[in-house]
Amino acid sequence: MERLLAVLNVFARIALIFGLALLLPIGVSWWTGDGALGAFDEALVGTLVIGGALLLATQRFRRELRANDGVLLVVLCWVLLPLIAALPLLLGIPEARFSDVYFEAVSGLTATGATAFSGLDRLPPSINLWRTELHWIGGLGIIVLAVAILPLLGVGGRQLMKAEVPGPVKEAGITPRVTETAKGFWIIYVVLTVLCTLAYGLFGMSWLDALTHAFSTVALGGFSSHDASFAYFDSPVLEAITIGFALISGMSYVTHFAALAGRSLRPYLRDGEAPFYLGVLGASVLLVAVYVWHHGHYDEFAVALRHAAFNTVSVATTLGYASTDYSKWPFFAPLWMLFLCSFATCSASTGGGIKMMRAIVLYKQVFREAVHAIHPNATTFIKLGGAVVPNKIILSVLGFGFLYMACTIFFTLVLAASGADILSAFSATVACFNNTGPGLGLVGPDSNYGVFSDFQMWVCSFAMLLGRLEIFTLLVVLTPAFWRK
Amino acid sequence: MSNPLAVLRVFALVLLVFALTMLAPAAVALVQNDSAAGAFQRGCLATLAAALLLWGLTRRHTEELRIRDGFLLVSLVWVVVPAFAALPLLIHFPAMSFTDAYFEAVSGLTTTGATVIEGLDTLPYSINLWRALLVFLGGMGLIVLAVAILPLLGVGGRQLFSAESPGPIKETKLTPRMAQTAKGLWLVYLGLALACTLGYVWAGMGWGDAVIHMFTTLGLGGFSSHDASYAYFNSPRIEFVAIVFMTLAGMNFATHFMALRQRSPACYWADPEIRWYVGVMYASVLGIAVFLWLDGTYAEFGTALRFAAFNVISIATTTGFASTDYAQWPFFAPLWMLFLCSFVTCAGSTGGGMKMMRAIIVYREVMRQVVQTVHPNAVRTVKLADAPLPNKIVFAVLAFGFIYMAIIVSLTLLMAFSGLDIVSGFSAVVASFNNTGPGLGQVGPATTYKSLGDFQTWVCTVAMLFGRLEVFTLLVVLTPAFWRR
Repeated sequence: MERLLAVLNVFARIALIFGLALLLPIGVSWWTGDGALGAFDEALVGTLVIGGALLLATQRFRRELRANDGVLLVVLCWVLLPLIAALPLLLGIPEARFSDVYFEAVSGLTATGATAFSGLDRLPPSINLWRTELHWIGGLGIIVLAVAILPLLGVGGRQLMKAEVPGPVKEAGITPRVTETAKGFWIIYVVLTVLCTLAYGLFGMSWLDALTHAFSTVALGGFSSHDASFAYFDSPVLEAITIGFALISGMSYVTHFAALAGRSLRPYLRDGEAPFYLGVLGASVLLVAVYVWHHGHYDEFAVALRHAAFNTVSVATTLGYASTDYSKWPFFAPLWMLFLCSFATCSASTGGGIKMMRAIVLYKQVFREAVHAIHPNATTFIKLGGAVVPNKIILSVLGFGFLYMACTIFFTLVLAASGADILSAFSATVACFNNTGPGLGLVGPDSNYGVFSDFQMWVCSFAMLLGRLEIFTLLVVLTPAFWRK
Repeated sequence: MSNPLAVLRVFALVLLVFALTMLAPAAVALVQNDSAAGAFQRGCLATLAAALLLWGLTRRHTEELRIRDGFLLVSLVWVVVPAFAALPLLIHFPAMSFTDAYFEAVSGLTTTGATVIEGLDTLPYSINLWRALLVFLGGMGLIVLAVAILPLLGVGGRQLFSAESPGPIKETKLTPRMAQTAKGLWLVYLGLALACTLGYVWAGMGWGDAVIHMFTTLGLGGFSSHDASYAYFNSPRIEFVAIVFMTLAGMNFATHFMALRQRSPACYWADPEIRWYVGVMYASVLGIAVFLWLDGTYAEFGTALRFAAFNVISIATTTGFASTDYAQWPFFAPLWMLFLCSFVTCAGSTGGGMKMMRAIIVYREVMRQVVQTVHPNAVRTVKLADAPLPNKIVFAVLAFGFIYMAIIVSLTLLMAFSGLDIVSGFSAVVASFNNTGPGLGQVGPATTYKSLGDFQTWVCTVAMLFGRLEVFTLLVVLTPAFWRR
């Protein structure tokens, strides 16, 4: 209990800082006079009051956080911040259900991009900006999570990443370590956002749209201010820009950092994941383009390639924009895209899924098992980036991979039990659990999650949280062992 | 390098025995004077000739087989014997393609029970007998495979089970051990066969139907001599008998053997799998009955329970009989049944799937990893029947579980690639890979696999073989390393 209060104290401070993020949509709302100003003002006051009260109430439990407290803090942030983030939506969109706005906020902060709303074009621009700003803030958190916290906890073999992280490792407290590590990566993140905004703005978007979409792109979220997503712009140049930034964002920030610090491209080659990531995506784009073209969905190969490139990269990097309703493509293509999104992105990126690193380990392990079956006494190793991966980590990765699939089956069964058809249930699960966004069927790219019942919305929200926190982080907090002394 | 010629010699002997089993339907056809007599005679002669020729060519290679030769022998038996088993079908149905005939034979010998033949009720009795006999023979082979061979080969943590099987364990030679183990277990199998036949006759089946359905019940296959499967009989009493024997056949035959030898039912309690097997399956029966009743599929709970009990147990034990078109039930129910069939049956039974033993280990290992995340320095081991499991086995089991799921995903993608919808594609893969039989959609319980294209049929055939040989056995033979010195 004491631990919970101590962590809540830190959380209260984070909530207060988070409240400041509301100033951006407030400014935009005031500037454009879009009518949502009242909602944001009330939300700001509400956030400050809640955060302040929480801070005062827990002030005397304040202490330096330990590693296990970090787990709790992370879970609290991703579970409770959406409540605050949902306030402007709840106030600004009168017809929304509570499960809708919480879903929307979770979808924002986990950088998923699945939306519960239709008629986005008619929403006040400040609301749309807030939605994608949630992506962006979520992205800040995801980078810290992926680079500092998950490796520290050793979630599903994440220790693999530990050695590569700059900064002190032996640190006892978690706060200095996190802030230390985060700073460098956040700078890259901010620079990427600025570049992306400029690129979008200069090549045809309005500056407000540019900022809104840049937020969403670098966080690999997928919210758009248009129901039609990128089909609204119908511009190959903008699509190319998106592809570029999505590819960059799906790579490891640790590698970006090393490359910038050393002013050399060599870190990308030495990165154990990046070549596979780019290779798999490139091959898949071609595969999907040829498949769709061969089935006669597009007459011209160039058109097929354009749409395949954009939508495949978008879904595979767990971004989730669409430049066309790809669920109308022959069924294999969207299924393959959903398959990719479950593993393609690199581990220290803002993407979702099990991550390329784990996929490589799993893949190599399969062949290792085959060799073991023939030579039971042979000693074999799996190497990643030139280093031998310890057996303990492989075991963790295997356990994680298995749990991941088990969760996918579980959520699909739950959604099916609550009445969804298999295509919608399965694709919604995959799209939410991998933090991608649009599924197929009822929740396809030209539709939204608003068709789901309250219960199904909660299930999807939980799936997004579980996927983003890499299962263990959330699961651990739910075990009695965690709360025992 | 294994010893292919010595393996071929043993295989020739297996084929010889197999040719003799064709005499049974041939005799039945002669007595009943049905149109298939010629097909069986010619099929039998061709198989005999091939077996003798092979034996003649290899008879001087009488070297003792080593453990590694087991991979090749087992793969040969399950891949090549179906080609001969298909001969009578090919001869009797001139219009049948080799793809379909081979599929049917593989489906029989792997005790899957998926069929491509429509109008079963109009077929000669001997043809239906042959199909069912294949399942029965497959079941006999499986018991040896599961109890004696796979543990020796150590496939996916199977080493575990070697401790439980009767007979000497330190044996390194393949043949004596197989013979030793097989004898006891086959006696149990035949005893159950007799009891099951009498049970069916008691419940009201004719002797002819009783034999056919006994064959497929004990083999957990699922072929029937009626298109309507058990809906043809529409008899609660027959369904009850089927439920009892399906449940028994899904248990480890080594446990049956021990219980008989020691004349003590305590053996069942000591078996680490059986309580989970029975518990999960019967809880699911109750759950689905309530679900169907609440949903209004059946107005009376009694009716819901009757249909749920039969169909859930039939699918979960990977038998594949149907007493109603359960594909019409609300979608969750058949999905849950397919889910069950992938892990419920015990190791050492004639059932398919990854087996309850592995499911328990995977579950405990994942839980251990969760606890490990909370207490990184805690030392905990996964236990089974109060004995800690060696890490090596846990490792192998996890890897197996992962490969299992990965294959389902890949084959489903392949089915989608060939143009099948998701329900049919996914369920066909799950039903084939777990050796269950009927899927959903196009390949549901009310239809057959006939509507699939050639390519799709081959995918299912390969899935059945991979599932039955627990992936590695077949995979290993396909690796170059196996053939290298």
